[in-house]
Amino acid sequence: MIERLLVCRSGGYSPYENLALEEALLNRVGKGEMILYLWQNERTVVIGKNQNPWKECRTALLSEEGGHLARRLSGGGAVFHDLGNLNFTFLMSAEDYDLPRQLTVLEKACQSLGIPAQRSGRNDLLAEGRKFSGNAFYSHAGKSYHHGTLMVDVDMENVQRYLSPSKAKLAAKGVDSVRSRVVNLKEFVPELTIERLSEALIAALAEVYAVGGGVLDASNLSMTGTHGLSRTPAPTQIHPLRTLSPDEFDLHDLVAKYASDAWLYGLKLPFTLSVEDRFPWGGVELQLDVNEGVVRTAKVYTDAMDDTLAPRVEAVLSGCAFRGEALKSALAGICLPAEQEGQLVSLLETAL
Amino acid sequence: MTIIPDLKYAKSHEWVKEEGGIATVGITDFAQDALGDVVFINLPEAGDEVVAGESFGDVESVKAVSDLVSPVSGIVKAVNEELIDAPEMLNSDPYGAWIIKVEQVTDREELLDADDYEALCAEEG
Repeated sequence: MIERLLVCRSGGYSPYENLALEEALLNRVGKGEMILYLWQNERTVVIGKNQNPWKECRTALLSEEGGHLARRLSGGGAVFHDLGNLNFTFLMSAEDYDLPRQLTVLEKACQSLGIPAQRSGRNDLLAEGRKFSGNAFYSHAGKSYHHGTLMVDVDMENVQRYLSPSKAKLAAKGVDSVRSRVVNLKEFVPELTIERLSEALIAALAEVYAVGGGVLDASNLSMTGTHGLSRTPAPTQIHPLRTLSPDEFDLHDLVAKYASDAWLYGLKLPFTLSVEDRFPWGGVELQLDVNEGVVRTAKVYTDAMDDTLAPRVEAVLSGCAFRGEALKSALAGICLPAEQEGQLVSLLETAL
Repeated sequence: MTIIPDLKYAKSHEWVKEEGGIATVGITDFAQDALGDVVFINLPEAGDEVVAGESFGDVESVKAVSDLVSPVSGIVKAVNEELIDAPEMLNSDPYGAWIIKVEQVTDREELLDADDYEALCAEEG
């Protein structure tokens, strides 16, 4: 039974630090406790635990524009976050996990703001038939979390651009995203801010669980590159205030995990992709088998006059990391005419 | 809910069948029902070591990503690769859809017989 409520608000906008803090909070949460964690990521595509990043996200475009790709522990599909989005996480012991009750907190918060929220069959929250909150779940070692997005004023153009389907033909295992019609809550409540929504969530939590608690202050956590974010005073509904020392959380290793290529790209999810195009010197199709983020085999089909082209390209791409820079420098290594090299690089980039 | 009389059960809802030094491991009917529709499974590889009470993979269902906990310690002899393309078999045939076979078993979690496991499920129901 939940006997104590704690609220934790992240002080930074880095997805790697925020996901690290989320996992640290899961490790920290005790029996009878419920932690509500509120956090925001700057320009980030977050994919589900078992998703193929290249299938779900235009990774090259995202990184070119200063965005981040992140992978979470929970399942489900890809979502886009920016500072117009608020993320919530309910963390507790598995025995205290009660999805309907947690959803009631979200619904009550929405109702108090005048948002017509309804549950959908697909773990989403809808307003007038359009999704503003996607929810996902994780359970480990007797503890569980339920987290999700709340779209207040997200840049919808970026949602479309970063989450558009790959131009490459991609045969991959893993979990596919389900496209939904989405909506910003600002459409229903024009004066809504992240701050007001956060306060409404904390108030609804206190109302639904009706027990005392405290505020976890994460703004001084030992994280690297944290942006300053002004803190909100604890809402008066939650008493007595209990603050956990931020020093309890050493996030260094977790941040490194979430930001690592191995976590983001290195999953054992083998896939095959092919891209093709026609150039003045001939048509070319590249077929790559990729696993754990590395090109295992490359096949090149071309009607180009130069019959050494295919074997040379195959040789440099096999074993190459499946990342923009690595592929580019591999192709540069075979000293093709500059124009042809550029065309092959652009062709590969359509798959990234 | 189905419980098979001659299997052993871990409290974390995996079943074990030991025969000729090989422990075959799967998840129970209770577990698959609690998980809901399974959409993905992360499996170990043959030759990997598994440790009793620790995670050896995970399953993603419409409800959550959850650990698969090994009831025994040993070396993975085989994995059921069919589950990669058809994880829904864990829902439709939990006792047929074995997940791993473990050899060189050195240690076991506390395992329940069918009657005690049934009592546990009733309690957690």
